[in-house]
Amino acid sequence: MIVGERKPIAEIKEMVSPYERLLVLGCGTCVKTCFAGGEDEVAVLASALRLAYRKSDKGLQVEELTVERQCEDEFIQEASKVVSCNDAVLSMACGAGVQAIARRFPGAVVLPGVNTTFIGVLEKRGVFTEECVGCGNCVLGEFAGICPITRCSKKLLNGPCGGSRNGKCEVNPDIECAWSLIIERYRDLGQMDNLRAYVPPKNWSTSTAGGPRKLVREDHMI
Amino acid sequence: MLASDLKEKPGREAEAITGYAAKRKPKMAVFHCVNALDDAVFLPFTCRDEAEVKVVKLPCSIMITDIYLLKAFEAGANNVLIFACPEGQCRYVKGSIRTTKRVARVKKMLEDIGLGSKHLSLFNISQGDGDTAYRIIEEKLAELICPADGVDR
Repeated sequence: MIVGERKPIAEIKEMVSPYERLLVLGCGTCVKTCFAGGEDEVAVLASALRLAYRKSDKGLQVEELTVERQCEDEFIQEASKVVSCNDAVLSMACGAGVQAIARRFPGAVVLPGVNTTFIGVLEKRGVFTEECVGCGNCVLGEFAGICPITRCSKKLLNGPCGGSRNGKCEVNPDIECAWSLIIERYRDLGQMDNLRAYVPPKNWSTSTAGGPRKLVREDHMI
Repeated sequence: MLASDLKEKPGREAEAITGYAAKRKPKMAVFHCVNALDDAVFLPFTCRDEAEVKVVKLPCSIMITDIYLLKAFEAGANNVLIFACPEGQCRYVKGSIRTTKRVARVKKMLEDIGLGSKHLSLFNISQGDGDTAYRIIEEKLAELICPADGVDR
């Protein structure tokens, strides 16, 4: 899932200050799971903003709505009525959701309420870790299901480096050495011979270096 | 100013003009875990004339989420108190620990929005220690009714 974090209240307050009517628009998919922009977080932020502006001379009317998914037009459409009633939309979705709202409602001011952080997993309750950079050419099969491009600080394809200490990375002792994990996993699988293979430099043309990417599924197009 | 002029003004604006805001009855919201305290502790406070005290009982303090606390302030509460079991004595094991973390988070949010965190307090009360709870509410009510620093509630 896409992991995000709500922006600091001070930053949000500054962003919304020119407006008098604000819609806080949540997304019920990825950002809900990481407690950044789901229905509960929308309610909390809307309430906090109402309280923040209660004592100021300039009032702020805050409306709340959460759609199932902000990155799909079908789900966004149900917000059209409330979007038109407000001066600005504070989208609590990831960057894709914010842009989808801006695309769907060309006349609306759309502001981001969440910092989109990474593609990751829920490691344990309250802890999310980055697991994928979306390079467009998955090589997990060559690394026992552990991505060195995401999880090795140096992105080494032929590791480990000399900085691995007791399974931790020299860059930050809180980071697990991806190559240590790969070796352990190969050992458990009885496939240590795979480590002998040289992995050539990765083809990065499928990553973001070539500009924004597009996926076309002809079979789903009408 | 004519009474008819005031009628046209929204509530808070009218209060600001007349100075009635200072005389408004202070409000307090009390959330408590039923395992820590019995309802009877709060009865003397719910019928006070000088302040409005709303009591919400919960099966465990962990039921208090951020939004309930913020909504209490939105509804006009000047002070919000939470009575939870001490850590390690929670019937649901980790309820009190999570409540402590949640309250800390809401306190930070109240600071961030400029409301101040002193209006929100968490107290860990041993089961059946109604006297301590009674004393705490008395003190908090006294602060609300006659603020020592004279600052607007």
